[in-house]
Amino acid sequence: MTRTASRRTVLAAALTAALSISLTTPALAKETVKLGFIGPLTGGVSNMGLGGRNSAELAVDLRNKDENAKYAYELVPLDDECKPNVGVQVATKLATNRDVAGAVTHYCSAVAMGTVDIYHKFNLPIIVWGAVLPDITYGNEYAEVHRVNGTMINQNEVAADFMVAQGYKSWAIIHDTTDYGKGHNTYFTKFLTEKGGKILGTFGVTSDQQDFTAELTKIKELNPDVVYFAGLTPLAVRIRQQMDKLGIEAEFQGVSGMKSDAYFAGLSGDLAEGTVTFLEGAPAAKLPGGAYFMSEYDKAGFGENYEAYGPFAFAAMNLLIDAVEKVGPDRKAVTKYLADVKDHESITGPISFDDHGQNTVALITKYVAQDGKWVVWEDSEYASGKRQLKHK
Amino acid sequence: MKDDVMKTPIPVSLPPLATGLIAVAACAIFGWLFLLAESEVAVLGLVLLAVLAGWGAQKTGLSATLGTAMHQHSGAMNGAIVASLLAVIALLGTEHFPLLMLSTMLLYLVAALGLNVQFGLTGMVNFAGAAFFGIGAYTSAVLTTHTAVPPLLILLAGGLIAALIGALLIVPVVRTAGHYSAVVTIAFGVLFKTFLEVNEVLGGPQGLMVGSMNVFGWDFNNGPVLMGHEMSFYVNYALLSSGLAILAFALTRRLERSWLGLALDSVRLDETASACFGINVVRAKVLAFTYGNILAGIAGALYGMMISFIAPNSFTFSDSLLMVSIVLLGGLGSLWGSALAAVIVVLVPEKLQILQEYRFLLFSVLVIAMLLFRPQGLLPRGVRSYFPGGRAQR
Repeated sequence: MTRTASRRTVLAAALTAALSISLTTPALAKETVKLGFIGPLTGGVSNMGLGGRNSAELAVDLRNKDENAKYAYELVPLDDECKPNVGVQVATKLATNRDVAGAVTHYCSAVAMGTVDIYHKFNLPIIVWGAVLPDITYGNEYAEVHRVNGTMINQNEVAADFMVAQGYKSWAIIHDTTDYGKGHNTYFTKFLTEKGGKILGTFGVTSDQQDFTAELTKIKELNPDVVYFAGLTPLAVRIRQQMDKLGIEAEFQGVSGMKSDAYFAGLSGDLAEGTVTFLEGAPAAKLPGGAYFMSEYDKAGFGENYEAYGPFAFAAMNLLIDAVEKVGPDRKAVTKYLADVKDHESITGPISFDDHGQNTVALITKYVAQDGKWVVWEDSEYASGKRQLKHK
Repeated sequence: MKDDVMKTPIPVSLPPLATGLIAVAACAIFGWLFLLAESEVAVLGLVLLAVLAGWGAQKTGLSATLGTAMHQHSGAMNGAIVASLLAVIALLGTEHFPLLMLSTMLLYLVAALGLNVQFGLTGMVNFAGAAFFGIGAYTSAVLTTHTAVPPLLILLAGGLIAALIGALLIVPVVRTAGHYSAVVTIAFGVLFKTFLEVNEVLGGPQGLMVGSMNVFGWDFNNGPVLMGHEMSFYVNYALLSSGLAILAFALTRRLERSWLGLALDSVRLDETASACFGINVVRAKVLAFTYGNILAGIAGALYGMMISFIAPNSFTFSDSLLMVSIVLLGGLGSLWGSALAAVIVVLVPEKLQILQEYRFLLFSVLVIAMLLFRPQGLLPRGVRSYFPGGRAQR
């Protein structure tokens, strides 16, 4: 091919492309409403951000295909890099753009903490799709801020309910001294005392402690039914090993931070067997609308997985679109609509916001360690009665 | 980003000062348009225009004329630049986001000027720029929440504490040379972030709220009302950061031109030779290191107040690299270069948000291309002029 010929081909291709784009725009133009999405699209947790972005995009695309939709929706995805300063920048950008009616924002808690003030200042209604720190919704009185995913509060409420129902009476608590461990301790203690469980002792440990003999010897003396640990996997592995060494026969209960496969890699033999833990959300397949979500996601052909919080981003975006459909693309009206959301149907189960905009029926899944794997409690041999949790 | 009006050879009749003033005005208009640009087409078009104008200015000898203008009429030119900066702020008025970006740029410029004295003049690479910036921000977080220290003083305190903590590093940095002292600063940058993450009192990994700037009862987080119009509250921060940037620029320029600056230059070129000629190498290094850290700390203190929420994640090693890249991109030791590079490094990734996850890819390509085609930096530092303003001819 000569040079001119190839240039002509390129030109022709460009023209065809331009023509086809102009032809596919719908003949009957609806009013376009812009909706924001913020998440970490680059950096260390970008897989989460991209999964969330794709899911939000899916929600928008599906609605745009619906002929009954009153508006055409356009997603404005922005990258917060999981950094509060960048988050503040993009939140300002989104909130000051008058065409944006609402947004689904943030996977990283520190970023969300930095940006809620901005949403409040500019009256932009937002729904958090991934950040878990309770203070994001409970640390302020902002009507604009909502959240569909659960927090450690919901997790511990479910945990306390579940364990009391299993017939356990007394607990010893070990928590690491980070915000994460301390928060879990606070909420678990609160819910457990409400349900009538008894706490025999609480022990704070640093997040890199190696030896727990002092704490565990004391716990052996207290002789609780359950040892509750709030912290991350590496510590959980050490504590479980040393419990065995000291001959503590109590059931071992954990939090979301230790639901990882590293727990089994670190423990020899069947030490892990029967450990229970809790996690916000659920595997997509277990969600009420999970099958629908997964098949649509596959059909859309995204390059990345939807990851753990994708379904929440999808549900949040859908809820936001429902709000706009109902009350129109007006920020104040959308905020008002979101304040009264009760049992709103979504793929993650019904959504109900409390007076702080927190979803109160947030989904929490119970897991039990069975044969070197985390198995959803309802599917496990423990629930079917084939195996027994430790009761002394 | 020199000028976009002249593509043809400049008419000889125009005196350098007039050309310079026109160029400044053109740059201001360009900056204003670029800050407001939203769509892909507008952003890419403006970037292309800037590249073409820069290239054209080089070819037509316009940049040489500009150099002459800056040299002979530095007062008028600097005045014009300050005036156009204020004009851009006034024009943006109610636009929150562009003003936030402008203020961020100016504060990064202040920090970069400090790094320029360390790296460009004295030859000590500081890979912990973001850490010193962060020390300033954390100082203002602690002081605004727990004490009633007037916020203007907090800015100074930010610089002072950055200098004090930097003083801990002086021994290892001064005693090691070249790459080794760079490694010391890298270690410090990483250590700083880890320290913040495990430190409960300073908010841990979740970060801290920062109080707002407040000058004699004028709260910076309320928009000023001008002739019945409420301006963006970022106007306050933009004005204050302009003030800081101008002050830091003037001070750094004086330092560069003074005998101290000469000593710093000679330390960079050859330590042994400078020592032989009686220059106190240790003192020169301590001076440059402390000066740079103070500037970074002050800029960080104001940045924290403006952003109003900080966390260790905002002051990582990669942010330090970004600051060093401002100095490199602009040209070692070139103050105007740093100003231009601060605009590029802060603004371009933000304008590339439209590309979502691919934006840093394109940004990196841009940086590599620039280093390939202009390894000496965008506005390389000229040969030291011993008699500024051409007074030697008198």
